[in-house]
Amino acid sequence: MTLARQGDTLTAGARERRRAAAREGRAPGRTRIGYLFVSLYAFLTLAFGIAPAVYSVVLAFTNADGGFAGLDNFSKVVTDFRFWPAVLHVTAYLVIWLIGLLIFVVALALIVHALSVRWASTSLRFVYYLPGALAGASSVLLWLFVLDPTASPVSGLLRAMGFTSFVQVIQPGNLPAIFAIIAFWTGAGGWIVIMYGALNNISTEVIEAARIDGANAVQTALRIQLPMLRKWIAYMGVMSLAAGTQLFVEPQLLSQASNAIVPNDYSLNQLAYQYAFQQNDFNGAAAISLLLLVVALLLSWVFVTRGGLFEREE
Amino acid sequence: MVGIHTVGPRRTAALRVTALGAATAVLVLAGCSTGGSSANGSYGFPQATQDTSSTITVWVDADRQAAAKAFQKAHPNTKIKVVTYDGSANGSNSFRTKMQLFDRAGSGWPDVVFSSQNNDAAWASQKNNGKQAFAAVLDKGLVPNDTLSKFTPGALNPCTVSGQVYCLRNDLAQTVLWYNKSLMDRFGYTVPTTWEEYEALGEKLAKEHPGYIVGAQGDAWTPEVFMWASKCEANNITGPKSVTVKTDSTTCKRAASLLDTLRGDGTVPNVSVFTPEFVKNYTGKVLMMPGPAWYAGAIFNNPQSLNVPPGQLAVSAPLLWKGEDKAVTGNVGGGTWFISSHSTNLKAAAEFVQFVTTADDYQVNVAPGYPAYAPAAQKWIAKQDASKYFATPLQPIATAGSQVWDGWGYGLFSQEAVWAKTMTPAITSGTSIVDLLPTWQQAIENQAKVNGYTVS
Amino acid sequence: MTTLSQQRRQRVNLTGWSGRAIAGVVLLVFVLFFAIPIVWLLFAVTKSSKALILDNPFALGSWADFTANWNQLFGFQDGAVTTWIGNSALYAVGALVITLVVSIPAGYALALTEFRLRNALLVLTLVVMLIPSTALVLPIFLELNTVGLIGSPLSVILPMSFFPFGVYLTYIYFSTSVPRDLLSAARIDGCSEFQVFTRIALPLAAPIVALVAFFNFVQSWNNFFLPFVMLPSSDGYPIQVGLTSLLASTPAFNPSSAGSDSVQLPTLALATVVSILPVLFVFLFSQRFLVSGMTAGGTKE
Repeated sequence: MTLARQGDTLTAGARERRRAAAREGRAPGRTRIGYLFVSLYAFLTLAFGIAPAVYSVVLAFTNADGGFAGLDNFSKVVTDFRFWPAVLHVTAYLVIWLIGLLIFVVALALIVHALSVRWASTSLRFVYYLPGALAGASSVLLWLFVLDPTASPVSGLLRAMGFTSFVQVIQPGNLPAIFAIIAFWTGAGGWIVIMYGALNNISTEVIEAARIDGANAVQTALRIQLPMLRKWIAYMGVMSLAAGTQLFVEPQLLSQASNAIVPNDYSLNQLAYQYAFQQNDFNGAAAISLLLLVVALLLSWVFVTRGGLFEREE
Repeated sequence: MVGIHTVGPRRTAALRVTALGAATAVLVLAGCSTGGSSANGSYGFPQATQDTSSTITVWVDADRQAAAKAFQKAHPNTKIKVVTYDGSANGSNSFRTKMQLFDRAGSGWPDVVFSSQNNDAAWASQKNNGKQAFAAVLDKGLVPNDTLSKFTPGALNPCTVSGQVYCLRNDLAQTVLWYNKSLMDRFGYTVPTTWEEYEALGEKLAKEHPGYIVGAQGDAWTPEVFMWASKCEANNITGPKSVTVKTDSTTCKRAASLLDTLRGDGTVPNVSVFTPEFVKNYTGKVLMMPGPAWYAGAIFNNPQSLNVPPGQLAVSAPLLWKGEDKAVTGNVGGGTWFISSHSTNLKAAAEFVQFVTTADDYQVNVAPGYPAYAPAAQKWIAKQDASKYFATPLQPIATAGSQVWDGWGYGLFSQEAVWAKTMTPAITSGTSIVDLLPTWQQAIENQAKVNGYTVS
Repeated sequence: MTTLSQQRRQRVNLTGWSGRAIAGVVLLVFVLFFAIPIVWLLFAVTKSSKALILDNPFALGSWADFTANWNQLFGFQDGAVTTWIGNSALYAVGALVITLVVSIPAGYALALTEFRLRNALLVLTLVVMLIPSTALVLPIFLELNTVGLIGSPLSVILPMSFFPFGVYLTYIYFSTSVPRDLLSAARIDGCSEFQVFTRIALPLAAPIVALVAFFNFVQSWNNFFLPFVMLPSSDGYPIQVGLTSLLASTPAFNPSSAGSDSVQLPTLALATVVSILPVLFVFLFSQRFLVSGMTAGGTKE
């Protein structure tokens, strides 16, 4: 997530302005200092960005002895009986999570933004934001408690929904929703705060004008504010999608906590881990990682183009 | 970004200083760790340079911490470091995946590992990508042959690969029929001797005393308790890489339909015996419970669990199927202890493993399960009988020890994981096990093939 | 005319009223959704395991139970929890320092200096930002394995120090919020390029340093997959991975741990609280500047 302002990020505007300045002959720092300053970063990018990416491509197309394997690794993992269920799990989770995220984050940001009482808006944002401190294993542990009807603070609610035991709660059909809820609980607050900030950037005159034209709050939101949030919504989609395809810690811990009723090959990333360290097949693992990466990048591309994420402003 | 200015430069500077200090610490700590040079050892595998005063690291599950404590008490001069992990329970594979990580890293292996599964020797005895096999060979001098020979016959089968012993068995986990004698007498029932009588009694109980139970089927080892004891051929490991799976046989169907019937009337509920839910709903209501020997200590005589008062719990021999002359039984785990072939203190590691599997201080006095080491097992039974906790003599447990059906093997993959993943959710959603048998067959075949087995 | 506008105003007010009610309900539901688990967690750590299951979820336990839970947690494996927290701190702070040392100059150079491959590096940064860090964990494992770093703290600190998002934030900040005239003036005054950075740009960049530090720290502290793979030994676990050890010793979630030395549910709850405390503090202290930092922008543009 990011907290930078709308005008700043995600646009090439800044670079344009800089270029313009350069043309006017005020270009600063045309010296070697630039190389020095980026050298460490360039090194890390090479070591932990490019090299592993290239390495995983190489692994995915070779066999254990290092010989070229063509698409063998891919056909192997795709025909693995665990592969398609894992794809299905991750897809279902992503669909639920992204839809929930888009609807609720935008709605909550709009409502909170419309509040006229200042302390209410501030404290609401804080309450929504706070669970973000619990990420990864901590939040999964907490939700294990919440989802276990014997210890849950909302056991009444769980029972009313027909769940009397932990095993019933974690039925395979419920898992995508459960993971989506956990992810939403930890992640949504940050995005609400970001959307709120973006809404603040919409000039008050535009909204006043709409109000004078007779638009009510809902109409203003739909016709003025929502289109202006488009970029941010697309950005949220991309980042969440990229992270969501990598589902690992949630099913991993749930698998441990459910006595393997949630399998340890539930998500694609877990399957890759099993390939690497259970079957000792890094090539298969790399093939899965690569497939994941390609799909995530393709889907991100859709968001980017549809959401106008890198369009130049003005 | 105006508001950000509240974080002043001074604070940032302070942060930078602390951080720099930490970075220095990182660099100091990052000193390379390389294993000692290896020489060919006298125990049948290449060993690392030995240092008999070094601390050994022991991986145990939470339950076996007591074993480590007992060892520390008896051997205060041997330094051990205890690390708990999940014991590889339910086929989580954590033992294997972690050791493969250490193999890759080239260092870091624990000296001794306890596994709650008994299929780990299958991989631990093998070389891995050219790396030395993890498990040390135990019967080439590391553990005296005298000790090995005193284990109950068959107890070391899961540890034996190509005639060599790679681990020591902690306990035997043969299934028996546990029952509550006081309840039996109060209800006026007689203890069943066949599965058919057991089923009939369950149905009768449901009508006469609803709320009481005769078993549970929510755990991953349900197939090992019921299917194994019914000679269901779901896991017949016929060779190093071949397995026979036939879940459509009558032996599987009869056990499945028994489970379906008794789940239907609520006397064998689909709930794990280790859940708070089980303790809450069924404390004082367990009439019978087919289950492994270690249920006695783990659930019945455990204040955190059912906490059955003394003088009530009784045990009966494994049940027969009608028309069969000889009862067979299943087996649920019975942990295994491994010594790392990479250990730099094999002497202490061997000492530890022998202590926890044979010494009275642990196996007889503390351990919840039935010892695999025969002399300890006799004392264990004598002690339990003397404690007057049990309402009947424990001889049936010893008898059952030799009745474990040998048509169910110890393969590379976990039957428990397959059951938990495929069957438990489907059963929870109401499907009958009889209908699920083909699904189960498919799931086992898939898992076997992924692990390189040919299925017939 | 008057009646018409009156009617319209009434309608607006009506939708406004019912809309407000709905909005209020939505806000409240989500407050409960976000707050209940955390509030409950704070109550849970003060209870015995029996009370946790039987008592009102929002009743306070006792001080004695809290201390018992505390002692059980920190007595676990002879104080392993303390080691894990120390590890977490070492990794997160170590990564933080390197991140700042690397990202801030890089962002500055990308924004305010010219060099070859500048555009390539910028595009690369954007692309790598989109690649989730977990996707590269396995290849990074193999890479660090060849240089023999697996199991060493550097195996997590170095990958966590690669923080393209931080570079991007810094780049944006320097290219929009630092007046170029100021830098030019400094040059005319005879500052070397290095001095321009340390004396002029860096002090101005304090807010972005704080922001990058915040994100990097939170991300490193909560990282699970990377240390899970890189540090297989219990001595090296950060607290997030250590939690799985505790979970494995909790009978309710792992049947094989039904012994007397097992971890009880309230202790596990306490572990959860302890594992997030540092991040929670960072959140509490930074939420003021983070939120105001974002909301202040509105009128400035």
